Amino acid sequence: MEIVIALFFSTLRQATPLLLTALGGLFSERSGVVNIALEGMILFGAAAAAITVNRIEVATGGLEAFWIPWVGLLVGAIVGGLVGLIHAIASIKYRADQIVSGTAINIAALGAPSIVLQVLYNNTSTSQEVNNRLPLVNLGIGEVSVLVLIAFLLVPVVWWVLFKTPWGLRLRAVGEHPEAAETMGVNVIRMRYTAVILSGMLAGIAGAYLSIGFLNQFIRAMSAGAGFIALAALIFGKWHPFGVLGATLLFGFAQALAIQLQGGDILPATIVQALPFILTMLVLAGFIGRSRPPAAVGKPYDK
Amino acid sequence: MGRYLFLLAGLIVLVLMILSPWAVPMREFDGTGYLLNPLGAMNPKGLTLPEGLSFGWLGVVFGLWVGLLLAASVVVFLPNAATRARLLYVLGGLGLALFALEAYLFYQAIASANEAALAAGARRPPLRRYALSLGAYLGLFYSLGLLLVARMQLPGGRAFLVRLRGVVVPVVSLLLAVVVGAGVVAILRPGLGTQGVEGLGMRELIAGKLDLVTYTFQILFSPILNLPGIFNSLSFATPLIFTGLAVAFGFRAGLFNIGAPGQLTIGALFAMLAGVYLPLPGWLLLPTAILAAALGGALWGGLVGWLKARFGANEVINTIMMNYIAASVLLFMLAANEYSFFGNKVTLPFKAEGFEGRSEEIQEAARIPSMIDILAPNSTFSWALPLGVAAAIGVYYALRRLELGKRLLATLAALLVGYALGGVLPGIPVTISSALSSQLLNGSFLIAVLALLFYNFYLFRTSGGYELRATGLAPKAAEYAGVNLRRKMILAMFISGALAGLAATHYVLGAGMDGTYRLKTAIPSSVGFDGIAVALMGQNTPLGIFLSATLFGVLLAGGVSLNAQLGISNQIIQVLQALIILFIAVGGFLPRYFTDPLRAAQVETEARAEQEARQAKSSPVAGD
Repeated sequence: MEIVIALFFSTLRQATPLLLTALGGLFSERSGVVNIALEGMILFGAAAAAITVNRIEVATGGLEAFWIPWVGLLVGAIVGGLVGLIHAIASIKYRADQIVSGTAINIAALGAPSIVLQVLYNNTSTSQEVNNRLPLVNLGIGEVSVLVLIAFLLVPVVWWVLFKTPWGLRLRAVGEHPEAAETMGVNVIRMRYTAVILSGMLAGIAGAYLSIGFLNQFIRAMSAGAGFIALAALIFGKWHPFGVLGATLLFGFAQALAIQLQGGDILPATIVQALPFILTMLVLAGFIGRSRPPAAVGKPYDK
Repeated sequence: MGRYLFLLAGLIVLVLMILSPWAVPMREFDGTGYLLNPLGAMNPKGLTLPEGLSFGWLGVVFGLWVGLLLAASVVVFLPNAATRARLLYVLGGLGLALFALEAYLFYQAIASANEAALAAGARRPPLRRYALSLGAYLGLFYSLGLLLVARMQLPGGRAFLVRLRGVVVPVVSLLLAVVVGAGVVAILRPGLGTQGVEGLGMRELIAGKLDLVTYTFQILFSPILNLPGIFNSLSFATPLIFTGLAVAFGFRAGLFNIGAPGQLTIGALFAMLAGVYLPLPGWLLLPTAILAAALGGALWGGLVGWLKARFGANEVINTIMMNYIAASVLLFMLAANEYSFFGNKVTLPFKAEGFEGRSEEIQEAARIPSMIDILAPNSTFSWALPLGVAAAIGVYYALRRLELGKRLLATLAALLVGYALGGVLPGIPVTISSALSSQLLNGSFLIAVLALLFYNFYLFRTSGGYELRATGLAPKAAEYAGVNLRRKMILAMFISGALAGLAATHYVLGAGMDGTYRLKTAIPSSVGFDGIAVALMGQNTPLGIFLSATLFGVLLAGGVSLNAQLGISNQIIQVLQALIILFIAVGGFLPRYFTDPLRAAQVETEARAEQEARQAKSSPVAGD
């Protein structure tokens, strides 16, 4: 029983960054912009949050106050949004290949934080540990970070926004058939900018969760493929909030299982760690249900 | 509009010339320098120059530059385009000459000061770190810009640039990336020699920052200045050539292969398995191990191609997934010996003893020798490789009439004969410094050159390659013309993966990672991502890939000393790569006729029509 509870909480913790990122990716891809840069946006958000909190702590002499991690989270979200803006400008204004532009951001996310870390902490791989982490919430049988709750509560909200509001309808129209949407008076360009920036902010929040919620410092490449798994969850979940929820829980479970099996004698952890990726490939190949992307995804819009 | 931009550029150059150091005759190890400027030297840390060193000519040269800037600003407003062009060419040429004069005077002064000091009994030359700096370079860049502007004044100027867009877009992107990278460095680090010094004026602070930025890039490009540095750069460039080719091959076929890291990893595993365990006779082992590296990568990439051809699964996501799976496979094989599956103990033989995750050593016969051992075995320069290459090139150009297959066969034969003959010839004894013999550049570089040639001949000289490119440019048209798209897709990913896998020959068989002939879990598979920058920067052409891989090799080699000297993380190169990719993706912010082939063709056609019209006007029809 104990192990089941442990596994349950571990799954929630592992699924949270995937879920936040995938929900962000949902906006971007539903608007027709492929966002392979999610991985990089997580890293930028994570670095920004951890460094902000650490700097506040240094400036205030180690103050511990409830608002500090929230400021870190906010900065993480803003930085994620700014990276999203770069991706948006490149792929919307300059009609860049969205995958190339996203790859550039992912590569930058491996190098840029290291340069800042080198200047601030004289090492390239980790930031200083922070004391002010995002608060925990007691669920009766265990505690989870408040962002875990927020992430899961976001799922119905996103569903409502996407499928029950005029804005959501327009967003989906822009991703399916931008010319038609434009004819109906929707500002395609603005919708796409909003969606990509939003996805960057959510990925940035996921990064903040990793660095000041799940752990207490930034580590180089700490996302470990979370952005790509989120992208896979998007496909697995058929670009639908509830599908995405199911997919991220499944992938989160696989990761939790890998941690649980570490040192055990059932399966080697290295093999279990590869499971989400193998699973994704099986899904992509259509062995587990077909998945159809938004029709206009990846295509630059030319008026 | 264009003219006022030109004036603005001239003004910026002038302001920067006033603010920045022109030359640094002396520099400490930590970068603190003695900054020369026409308006007076800046020396925040109080370094003392040797006596007799005078740079009074700097003021005169600066005066000449101001005159040149003013003249150019007047010239662009002349009414006649041909006159404008002629005068700008002259001014540009004068600028280049002026820069050459500066360089001569400066290095001459340094050399004579050092000689004088040595003659007076100094044990070491007093000036060891010296170079021209930003102020002087600005003149050079401005002069080159003048020549370009001059060409633009002549008819067909825009079409001239558009025709060269394969060079223009990468170069502009590189320059933009350098500027942004410089900005990042300037923001993050205090200026050289200004830290901890009280009472510095604005002028010193700005000059310190500009000096920092210039010195950063001087260090990054410094490996090209000596032979060990060049070897080091090429050793960094070798895997980049392979992965750049892999990504470019995919691009040519319309596929985005982000899976080079995984393909490299599996290629390395295959090469290790063949190199360590295959009980083959010596002469067969090395070729087999090299082919194994290619095969491993090819299978890993080909699987993705098959999934796309058979199930329509997106290759971008799949190659990324395969990267992570490959990393897991590598860890599984080399991180530990004992595993348990559902309680059953399984023992793997691959991990060598010790804390580190690494394989057993590669057998002697499967090792690729270092480049020094190929060029000069036993400290004797060997004629084998130079003669082989020369014979091959000679035969290739001599047999221009022959059909390609036979021509290449004859070239190969000439290479082998030349190599054998050169091996018999008596060599020249040479002394090899330890700095040179410790370089990790190995025979894998030659395999990379062969891979470049393969890429060139297969894609651009065979019908199969033609079909592949057609598939990438217009899949539907290619299919209509009878190309089997699915088979091409699988083939493209197979070959692309093989090229990425071959990068393992450098790391595993050639000991290019740290000088040990083993596969380690720490193999830097991320060069697979660097290959994306190489391919984009090289515009998917063989020469371009070679040049951009070499450029990044130089930067990576220089990054090591950057870290040691200035405390700037060599991750700056990763950021530069990312910026270059981003800027190329947006077409260098250039007008769309640089990036859109249709619009480019339109510009060129218009220019041609204009030229024909002009010719018709100037040469009256006979009998008129």
